[in-house]
Amino acid sequence: MMRIVIQTLVLVLVLTVSVSGQNVTVNNDLVFGSVFPGIPKTITKYTAGSACEFQITGTAGAEITIDLTLPTYMNAGGFSMQLIFSETDCAIDTAATPDQSSPEFDDLDPWHTLTYRLGSNGLTLWLGGIVVPALRQQQGSYSASIVITVQYTGS
Amino acid sequence: MTKNSKQALASIIAVACLCLAIVLAPVPHQAQDVASGQATANVLTGLSVTSTQALNFGDVLQGVAKSVPNNDAANSGIFVVTGEPSAGISVYIALPPYLATATGDDRMNIVFGVTDCSIDSTGNSNPSTFGDGWPNVDPYALPNNLVIGSAAPSQTAVFLGGEVVPSVDQTAGPYTGEIVITVAYNGT
Repeated sequence: MMRIVIQTLVLVLVLTVSVSGQNVTVNNDLVFGSVFPGIPKTITKYTAGSACEFQITGTAGAEITIDLTLPTYMNAGGFSMQLIFSETDCAIDTAATPDQSSPEFDDLDPWHTLTYRLGSNGLTLWLGGIVVPALRQQQGSYSASIVITVQYTGS
Repeated sequence: MTKNSKQALASIIAVACLCLAIVLAPVPHQAQDVASGQATANVLTGLSVTSTQALNFGDVLQGVAKSVPNNDAANSGIFVVTGEPSAGISVYIALPPYLATATGDDRMNIVFGVTDCSIDSTGNSNPSTFGDGWPNVDPYALPNNLVIGSAAPSQTAVFLGGEVVPSVDQTAGPYTGEIVITVAYNGT
């Protein structure tokens, strides 16, 4: 009897440790730096250190959906500044060594659900954008949140 | 406990453990993770341009042209531009071809030469004590590398001279014309 119980407990342990949930890490924020009033500034998804970078890890080969909740304005106190994400501002690379300058999947639409499979090292997502300060944009430090939600599809 | 009872108990425990495993085991296909990054930007000082002194020709005689140099402290036109220190700016001056009476019934020609403008980026706003920058440049085609002065008070001054050419039968009275200066950051 004990042998059966032990075997079952081992099975429980195996079931418990053989699978893992996915995890999202923010490697880099979307940083526009200094912006002149009246002069739009673009950060492309290829710009290392300035483009937003998310690292997603989990079960290699598992399919996931990625949803981005994108802001349309940045704020500083009571002031706002327009922020635009176009339909090609996102890129993904699932390679073990992701290449931001030449991503595996380029020109993706960050406004729609993205469905990809995790690679051996997970998946890296980059996001660019453009900020449009008004001619008389109030001076200050502006910010906004970019929320990413990742979920396994079960496929 | 009989052998059959022991086996039955073992089976029950095994089934219970399996059920426990199913319940406790992570279910990756339903897991979800959310992270929040930031978009950040620092908006620099806005531009401001002020006319601090009008280009003033004073009294003019019929048929006698009169000039005001751009280094005339009392009479040259003075514009002061403030903004982000060392930032590149583009400046355009819309110059009138003539001055007119208030009723518009007479006009007097005004001309601007190719050296009638000086631009000082040292913070000085007195045209007679020009500091450094772009002296004696063409007001119709200003340099494209202008900047806001880097030193306090982070300003660049534009000094403008010109010449009026009254006709021999110029109607007596005050004449005015608008000089419009447009300044914008160029992103450098």
